[in-house]
Amino acid sequence: MKIVVLVKQVPEADKVAVDPETGTLIREGVASILNPYCEYALDQAAKLKQTYLEEDIEIIAISMGPPQAKIALMRCLELGADSAYLLSDRKFAGSDVWATSSALKEGIVNLVPDFDLILTGKQAIDGDTAQVPAETAEQLGIPQITYGVDVKLDRRRIEVKREVETGYQILSTRLPALVTMSKGSNIRRIPSMRQVLDARKKLLETASADDLNIDDSKIGLKASPTQVDKIFAPPIKTGGDIIDGSDPVLAAKKLLDYLVENNFLKR
Amino acid sequence: MLQIDYEACTGCKICERVCPFGAIIVEPETKKARVLDNCTLCGACVNACNFNALSIERKAVSEEELALYKDVFVWSEWEKKGDTLQIKNVALELIAKGRELADKLGETIAVILLGKNVDHLVDELFHHGADKVFLCQHDLLENYSTDGYTTVISSIIAVEKPSIVLYGATPNGRDLAPRIAARLALGLTADCTGLDINSVNQLVQTRPAFGGNIMASIISPYTRPQMSTVRPNVFAKLQPDTTRTGIVEEVEVTLKPISIRTKIVEEIVSQDESTNIEDAEILVSAGRGIGSKESLSLISDMAEELDATVSGSRALVDLGWIPHPQQVGQSGKTVAPTLYFALGISGAIQHLVGMSSSDTIVSINNDPDAPIFKVTDFGIVGDIFEIIPEFIKLLKARENK
Amino acid sequence: MSQNNITAKRIEKAPIEEIRFIKGEETIVESYPSYLIDESKISGGHAEWLFFPKNEEEIASIIQKAKEEEILITVSAARTGIVGSAVPFGGAVLSLERMDQIIGLGFDEDTNKWFVRVQPNITLNEINDIVQLKKFENNQSIPPEKNWVEKFREEKAYYYPLDPTEMTCSIGGTIAANASGARSFKLGPTRDWIRRIRVILGTGDVLDIKRGDFKAVNGVFTIKTSEEEIKINLPDYEMPLAKNAAGLYSKEDMDLIDLFIGSEGIFGVITDADIWLTEYKSQISNVAFFEDEEDSIDFVNKLRKLEEFKPEFIEFFDDNALTLLRNKQNEDPKFVNMPTISDKFKAAISFDLPYSDEYLEKYFSLIGKMLEESNSSLEKTWSAYEERELARFKHFRHAVPEIVNNIIAERKKVYPSIHKLGTDMSVEDEYLKEMMNFYHQILIEEGLDYVQWGHIGDNHIHVNILPNNMEELEKGKNIYKKFAEKAVSFGGSVSAEHGIGKIKHDYLKIMYGEEGINQMRIVKMSIDPDCVFNCGNIFGRGVPT
Repeated sequence: MKIVVLVKQVPEADKVAVDPETGTLIREGVASILNPYCEYALDQAAKLKQTYLEEDIEIIAISMGPPQAKIALMRCLELGADSAYLLSDRKFAGSDVWATSSALKEGIVNLVPDFDLILTGKQAIDGDTAQVPAETAEQLGIPQITYGVDVKLDRRRIEVKREVETGYQILSTRLPALVTMSKGSNIRRIPSMRQVLDARKKLLETASADDLNIDDSKIGLKASPTQVDKIFAPPIKTGGDIIDGSDPVLAAKKLLDYLVENNFLKR
Repeated sequence: MLQIDYEACTGCKICERVCPFGAIIVEPETKKARVLDNCTLCGACVNACNFNALSIERKAVSEEELALYKDVFVWSEWEKKGDTLQIKNVALELIAKGRELADKLGETIAVILLGKNVDHLVDELFHHGADKVFLCQHDLLENYSTDGYTTVISSIIAVEKPSIVLYGATPNGRDLAPRIAARLALGLTADCTGLDINSVNQLVQTRPAFGGNIMASIISPYTRPQMSTVRPNVFAKLQPDTTRTGIVEEVEVTLKPISIRTKIVEEIVSQDESTNIEDAEILVSAGRGIGSKESLSLISDMAEELDATVSGSRALVDLGWIPHPQQVGQSGKTVAPTLYFALGISGAIQHLVGMSSSDTIVSINNDPDAPIFKVTDFGIVGDIFEIIPEFIKLLKARENK
Repeated sequence: MSQNNITAKRIEKAPIEEIRFIKGEETIVESYPSYLIDESKISGGHAEWLFFPKNEEEIASIIQKAKEEEILITVSAARTGIVGSAVPFGGAVLSLERMDQIIGLGFDEDTNKWFVRVQPNITLNEINDIVQLKKFENNQSIPPEKNWVEKFREEKAYYYPLDPTEMTCSIGGTIAANASGARSFKLGPTRDWIRRIRVILGTGDVLDIKRGDFKAVNGVFTIKTSEEEIKINLPDYEMPLAKNAAGLYSKEDMDLIDLFIGSEGIFGVITDADIWLTEYKSQISNVAFFEDEEDSIDFVNKLRKLEEFKPEFIEFFDDNALTLLRNKQNEDPKFVNMPTISDKFKAAISFDLPYSDEYLEKYFSLIGKMLEESNSSLEKTWSAYEERELARFKHFRHAVPEIVNNIIAERKKVYPSIHKLGTDMSVEDEYLKEMMNFYHQILIEEGLDYVQWGHIGDNHIHVNILPNNMEELEKGKNIYKKFAEKAVSFGGSVSAEHGIGKIKHDYLKIMYGEEGINQMRIVKMSIDPDCVFNCGNIFGRGVPT
C-alpha cells in the first residue's frame, strides 16, 4: 500500500513581520521548518506503517517549493518516509491555492499513480488557508476527510476521527482518499542519530514542471485566480493598564475595582 | 462546456449514476457518454469518472462576461441543538455583511440553505436581511457531506452566476468551499476578517497570514464568483426584523447515495450548551502557566463565580485537560466575548488571533514581557496561584453582602 | 604597542536635580520591591535611594553625591544573577535600565571582525534580535563615515554567541560577572568576546579600555585620574587551569580589561562596551542516553578529545535529573513536546556538532563508534537541527534547574527560609570521574535529595541539593564546604560560572586563602578607596576594611 504525505516547508510563523515602511515581508533571520501539521500527517503515516505490517506500507513524501524545501523533505525521510520528491520549478512561482493544487495533482499522478491514501496537514502555518488539500482532492477526484485526528485502515476503507465544533465525528470512506490531520500524538517524535544518518541514503528527487508534463496554463501566477492586492502590518492595539501583582491581595482588589467600574459584575 | 474524451470513455455509466440532474447519459448504441442540455457544470461526473474521460473547460471570463455575474450568495450552515436545528451565528453574520456588500453593488443577497426538513429556518434568514433563499431539501442532505453539498451548491452557482459567495470558516465551511472552488476553477480566500468593494466593483478580501503577523488584501480579478470563507465572530449580525420576507426558490435536488462517498459512522458530542465558548459572554481562559491539571479547578471556581465559561489555549487541549471544542486560537475557535480572562497564557500569536477581538481583555501572567499584555486592557504581572484565590475570596464576599 | 598606564577622562557632571530618582526605604520596599532582589532570592535587601540615570554625566553626578553623603552604590540591571551581586544592603541602587540601546555597528580592520557597541542594560536577546535581523539604522556605523551598516546587510548571518542560559540578562551584568554557559566549552566565557569597555570610577572619571592597549608590567598597572595617580599591584596567586569565575582575574602580564571583566562591579560602572560578533553556523544537536553513568563519562572523555571537531557544548544529566524530567513530562504542559525517556537510562549527555552535509556521515560514524564503545548507540541518541527542534532540546537542557526551583518553592511553603544549595565547581580533566563519584558517595551517605547536571565538557557539574527541612539544609551546607575543598584539591575552582557575589565568600577563602583575598582587597581599595561600588561582592557582606 502506498501512502503519499504532502508536506510544506514554512517560515516559523510567529517570527515573520511586515516592514511598516515598505510593506514587504521581513523573512530575514527567520528559520524554515517543516509545517507542524504536515509533521502530524507524517506521524500518522508512520503509525499506520507500524500498525498494519501486512499492508507493507510505503510512505512517499511530496512537497512543492523552492530548492531549499529539500530540507523539509529530508526531515520527512528522518521521521519515517521511504522516499521523497520535491516539485520545484520557477514556473510554479506565484501559484495560489488553485494553481498549487493543480501542480500537486500532476505531481502525484505522475510520480505515484497507484497511491492509496494521501495524508497532509490541515493547513500550513504561513498561509493558514487550509484549502490546498481539499482542492487537490477535488482535482484528483477522490473523497476527502478534513481535520482528522486518527486514521484506521480496514482493507480498502479508512475510518477517520474528525474534529468538529461540538466534538468529533467518525467518518468512513473508500480508498483512494485524502485525509488532513489536525493533531498528532501528544508526545513528539525526535529522530535518532541513526535515522538522521540513514535518511541521507534514501531517494530524494527533484522534479520540474517539464519532468511532470504539466501544462504551463495550469500553474504559476498566470493560472492563479486570486491575486494579492497588498500586504500590510496589522493594526496595533495599544496596551492598557498593567499593574504589579507582587501583592496578591492588592492586585485582586484592583482587579475587582476594574471589573466593577466597567460594569462587568452583574450581581 | 463539459468535454468528453470518447477514446477514454468506457461507457461504464458511473457518470449517469452520479449526475444529480440526469444531464449525462450513456448512449446504448455507442456505449459512450453524452451531455444533455440541462447540464449545470456541477462537476459531479468529472469527479466520479475513473478514466479521466470527462473534463470541464473553464476559461477566464472577459469583462463583459464578468458583468453578467450578479448578486451576493451566502451558504447558511445550521447546527443541531438537541432535536432542533438552528442557523449558525456565522451565517447570520455573513448575511449582514453580504447585505452591506450587495447594497454597495446595487445587487441583492440570497442565501443557500441545504438540509432535510429545514424549511422552517427560512424566515429567520429573511429577518436577518436575506432577499432570497435557495431552499434545497433532500434526505441525503440531512447531514453535511463534502460530496453532496459540493455538488448541489456548485450547480446552483453554475446556473445562477452570483458575483460573490460567502461561507463561514467553520470546519465544514472550510471543507466545502475549497472543494467547490476547485470544481469551478475559482479563486477562494480563506478566513477573511475584512470584506469590501473597491472602485471597480471587485471584492477586496482581507485576511491575516503568518499567524496574524501580517494582513493581506486579496482580489480575484478574472473569475466569478469571488468566494471567501469568513471566521465566526468577525462581523456583527443585524437586529432581526420580523416583518421582513423574501422570495423562496425551491431547488430540485436529485442526489443519489452513490455520489456521497463518505459515511458518518458515529457522532461524539463533547460539548454541551454551557461550554459553547463561541457564544459566551465571559470567558475564563487558561494556558500553560497553570502548571498542573489540579490547578484547573481554580480556573473553574473563578469561572463559576463570574458565571463564565472556561476555555483554554492549545497546550491544555494537547494534554487532554480540556476538550478541543473549548480551545481558543488559530487551530481552535475564534471568540469575541465581552470579557476575556487570559490566565497564565503567554499570548503566542496563534492564540491572539483567536481572541484579540474580545471587547475587554484581562490578563494575569508572571512574565512582564508576555505578548498577551500587548492586547490587554487590564493586566497584572504576578502569580495566578496567589492572585486568583484572593480574587475569588473578594467575589464571594461581594456576593454575601 | 601596549602600555601599563592609562589616563581616565573627566566627565561633565549633570545637574543632580535633573536625574530621575526615588527616595525612601519604605517607598522602595512597597512600590519597587523588585530592585531589592535578584535570582539568588537572598532576602533582606533594602535601599534608601533608587536612581535611574540615562547617561555617563548623570552617573558621574550620582557618584559624587554618593561620596559626599557616604552612600554605598549597588549597580543594578536585569538582576538575573544568582549570587546576590545586585542586591543592595543599604545606600543607593543605580539602575541602568534607561541605558539599554545599541549604539552602533563596527568592523575592526585589524582583526577583521564585526562588533556592536552597546549600552549596559540591553539584554542578550535584544542584541541578537537586532543583529540577526540586521535592524541597524544607516547612521549607526562606527565610525559614522564608514558605511558598515550597509556592508553588514550583505553579510551572512551573524550573532553574539554567548549563552548563559538566561538570555534576558543584561550585557553589562554578563561583563561584570564574566558570564559563561554551556557553549563556553568551545567559545569561552564573556571575557573572550569583549573588545572594549568604558567604566566610570569612584572619582567620576571614565576609563576607555580597548583590549590589547593596556597590559600589566610585572603585575603592576597605573591609572591616572583627575585626582591622583593610582598604582595597582595585582595579586600574585595562580588561577586554576579549570574553568573559573571566582575572585579577580590576575596574571603578571594581563590585559587591563580583564581586571574589570568578572570583577563583580567592585571597581566602577560599565557604561558602554564593544562586543564581538561571529558568523552563525548551523548546529546539529544530540542527546545520548546511557544505562550506566560511568559509560557517559567515558563517552565525554572521548568526545572532548576528538580532533575532527569540537562540540560547542557537552552537558550531563544524572539519573535523578532524568527522573525529574520523566515525572514532569506527565504533568506539565510545557513538556508536551518532549519524547518519553525510557526508565532504563541512568544518564544522558547532550552535545552538538557543526551541521554540514559534507561531513555528516563522517562525524556520525565517528560518534557512533564512540557511543558503542560506551555501551550506547546512534539508535539511542536523539538528533535534531531544525530550529524548532533545537528550541525543544534547549528546553530539555534548561528544564532541570526550573523543576528544582519549583520543588524548592513548594518546600518553602513549609520552611520559608529553606533554599536549594547549588554548587558551581570545576576540576581538572583527569579528576572528573573521581569528583562525580565523591559527590554521589557523600550525598547518598547523608541521605539528601539531589540532582547532578550541567557543563561536563568543562568538568563543571552543578550539584543541586534539595533539603526537605532545616536540618537537611544545615547538613547540605557542611557538605558544600567539603565539596569546595575537594574541588580545589583537584585543581578546580569553587565557582566556575556564577561568581562569588554576596554568598560564596567563604569558599573563595578555601581557594585563595586569607592572603589571596587580602591581595584582592588591596586592589579594590586602590581603585575605589571610598568603597562606593557594590560593597559585599567578592569580599562578603559589609564594608571591606
